Amino acid sequence: MKNTYNLEFKLFFRSTSAWIGILVLLVTGFAGLYFGKTFIDKQNRAIEKAAVLQQKNTQNNVKHFGNDIGLFFFHNKFSMANVPQPWAAFANGQRDVNPYLISATMLALEGQLYDTEISNPVSLLFGNMDLSFVFIYLFPLVIIALVYNLIAEERESGIWPLLKSQTNQLSKLIWKKFMVRMVTIYLTSIVLFLAALIFLHLPIDQNLFAVTAITWLYLAFWFAVSFFVVSLSKSSSYNASVLVAMWVLLCVVLPASLNLALTQRYSVPEALQNVINQREGYHEKWDMPKEVTMKPFFEHYPQLKQYPFPADETFSWFWYYGMQQMGDDQAFESRKSVAQKLKLRQHFTSIAALFLPTVQTQLGIDEVAGTDLNAHLAFQEAYRSFHEKTRLQFYPAIFLEHGIETTKVSSTKLEAFTPDTIKDWTRLASLSLLTILFLTLTLRNLREIQIVK
Amino acid sequence: MKNIVFTISRQTYKSIIANRATLALAVLLGLSLCLATYVGWQNFKLQNSQRLHYKQLVRAQWLAKPDKHPHRMAHYGYLAFREKHELSFFDFGIESFAGVSIFLEAHKQNTVNFSEAGFSNGMLRFGEISVAMVLQLLVPLLIIFLGYNSIAAERESGTLKILLCQKVSWKKLLWGKTFGILAVVLSIFIPLILLTILLWASLSGWAVSGDSAIRLLILIICYSAYFFIIVAITVLVSAFSKSSRTVLTSLLAAWIVLIIIVPRITQAVGNRIFPVPSKLEFLDQISSDVQKQGDSHDANDPHYSGIKDSLLKAYRVDDVKKLPFNYGGLIMAEGERITSGIYSAHQKKLNKKFQRQNSITAMVALLNPYLALKQVSMALTASDFETFVDFQNQAEAYRYGLAQKMNKLQIDKISNEKPGEHDKPLSISRSNWAEQPDFNYKFKFYGKVVQQEGVALAALALWLVMVILLLQYSPRWIKTV
Repeated sequence: MKNTYNLEFKLFFRSTSAWIGILVLLVTGFAGLYFGKTFIDKQNRAIEKAAVLQQKNTQNNVKHFGNDIGLFFFHNKFSMANVPQPWAAFANGQRDVNPYLISATMLALEGQLYDTEISNPVSLLFGNMDLSFVFIYLFPLVIIALVYNLIAEERESGIWPLLKSQTNQLSKLIWKKFMVRMVTIYLTSIVLFLAALIFLHLPIDQNLFAVTAITWLYLAFWFAVSFFVVSLSKSSSYNASVLVAMWVLLCVVLPASLNLALTQRYSVPEALQNVINQREGYHEKWDMPKEVTMKPFFEHYPQLKQYPFPADETFSWFWYYGMQQMGDDQAFESRKSVAQKLKLRQHFTSIAALFLPTVQTQLGIDEVAGTDLNAHLAFQEAYRSFHEKTRLQFYPAIFLEHGIETTKVSSTKLEAFTPDTIKDWTRLASLSLLTILFLTLTLRNLREIQIVK
Repeated sequence: MKNIVFTISRQTYKSIIANRATLALAVLLGLSLCLATYVGWQNFKLQNSQRLHYKQLVRAQWLAKPDKHPHRMAHYGYLAFREKHELSFFDFGIESFAGVSIFLEAHKQNTVNFSEAGFSNGMLRFGEISVAMVLQLLVPLLIIFLGYNSIAAERESGTLKILLCQKVSWKKLLWGKTFGILAVVLSIFIPLILLTILLWASLSGWAVSGDSAIRLLILIICYSAYFFIIVAITVLVSAFSKSSRTVLTSLLAAWIVLIIIVPRITQAVGNRIFPVPSKLEFLDQISSDVQKQGDSHDANDPHYSGIKDSLLKAYRVDDVKKLPFNYGGLIMAEGERITSGIYSAHQKKLNKKFQRQNSITAMVALLNPYLALKQVSMALTASDFETFVDFQNQAEAYRYGLAQKMNKLQIDKISNEKPGEHDKPLSISRSNWAEQPDFNYKFKFYGKVVQQEGVALAALALWLVMVILLLQYSPRWIKTV
């Protein structure tokens, strides 16, 4: 028994295609690690720089505008960074699309929160080259390349009848061939995971377990699909065509079509409406009596009523910040409807992912890495609370026209936000179900081969 | 000679059409193309109508503003929306990854926000189905499936020797097979193109612009050339390989490497070699340059006090309040001129960096016909990086014009005497607002696009010449058995 396994391994590694496949995975895997890490390292460096700039700019502003506290807060920005998790280098996710630094003044936030980071749209279009890409796109291809001619090769080279006559347990022999290929691929993935652990300084914790589990299940799915096609006992060209077509469907055509359906069904014009609401909500107040601004403002913040409002002055910072607040308050509804739309989109995607192992795996890994859309929305939410806290902290000093030094604003530091890593174990369920489905079909086919013999 | 080529190609065409599996595949692809055309068109209509709706709203709101100080209007600013080109339904390009709206205000340059990608949780990264995507990615795959055994199968079944004994030369065989497969592909492609033209014509209300017509014509030529290149390569590989299985696996491997892997790697390498600053660093560089040039907020700044002194001298007055025009407006106009000049210089440098990043991919197009076609296609459908940069430039020019127009109104029409703390603020009539025209993005002239895509077009032409030469002269190296 052991001997035949040895023999199968020897046979397998005698073929150059096996070595080429493993080599391709290792080389692209290491390239993925390298590019994924460079990408995150660059963001980390920018965040460090931002911490320095936060203090430098605040001090600069104190120097320039320090004698007018209202003007100082008109100019001074408060920054918050979405600090990448260690796993973000493994799966860059949406961190290239969404800004990882939000820097805004105390004025209306809705006009500032959505400003983008500097990025090259062409690079965004082609996507990042990280290790998760290698696992999701390239591993299945190598699995296909190693498995597609398993039975067909024996048949086409004329060994099949010989094998049939010599062994009673043909399906066991095929099974052994499968096992050899599975062991090889899984060992390759372990090598890459170990390299990632060392190179990316990943801690050994639940996250590691979650990513490994979903990746291995994903590979198992592709093995199951490949075994199934092989077990149909058609020609090797047929197998290759069908398997590559499956790959194209699952990696490109189906997600791309569903995405188009998604954009079509849930387009987000509310985001544009939100900008307009914010802009009008603030600017129209200049041409209106002051109570139009101050009544809702004091309803929003009853605790600020205690500060004397200079109603007879043509301009006061009190009024100005009140008007700015109206920009945000009047955009509240549209902001909520954007959030609602995004929720609908998430729902649609999570249903689509049930049937698309590729999307399921990518979302699962991004989720653990804290690089998905949810992590970014949480970052925006964190900035909103930070902004609110800043406003409430400095409003009294501005309204009382205190000196800037009383606010201790010079010691403001860069705020850090760390996205939660979410482990949604239910994602594993759909992957397991699809894998089991294909394995059952395969076993049935293999049994038939046995009977035909 | 001509006859034999024709006979072979007709035979090839017939045998492909007769094969039910390949026919099913071809029909499936045709259907997905129709779907992609329809959905692409729907998407274009929806997106553009939303943008147009908000564009009109913004204009109406601008005109409806009451009498006020022109500088208030400069801060009220304008919202510009990036319009989609009428041909963008064909190729989405970077559309989904580039922002849609930009807020244009005095003193400050904002980012183009709200890209589709920002609302996506990752499914978008697998790609978007569009006519271009089907034609660039899936049609080559179809060609591989249709053509991998075109010659290898004849060799395996032994008919190749018989063919070559019967007056058929290798050259004629290669050309015949190439034309036969191409005919199958074109019989899907041509009706689709007709459909595209019809759709597009109806889109623009049967008022087709000459510029777009030429763009589409160049597109059709380029795509046809691309298909010819792929078909010829498939036939050549089939002729040179021992077994049809080797042909299939090597062509599929090439497809995956050239279309899926190479673009990511070239772009990642470009980003690595030519790094761009983060936005905070970028803004910091600009503000330190602005401070070097002069600070309009600082009363003792040498640049601005120099202006003040020369004005006082020229008008022979001892106080800026006595000047015959609004001094504050003049200083703001000068500040705007300096800051926007510095900003534009930095932005230009940044765009140059992006272009360098993209140039790696552009160079690799010489080795990768897919990338060459992709670039030409994106450029001609105005869904490429250069169009996006052009939009940013036009928006910035509009922003600058608006700010300076408001400064001019302030210089000419606002009194030099500041009102008291309790007085009514100074203002000018709302009739002035209409003088500021609406923002309308103008797409580039097609000739400029062709010029800009010279390398990619040359790459396609080079590939075309190369495969023709190979079809003509390579037979001497082919082994029949």
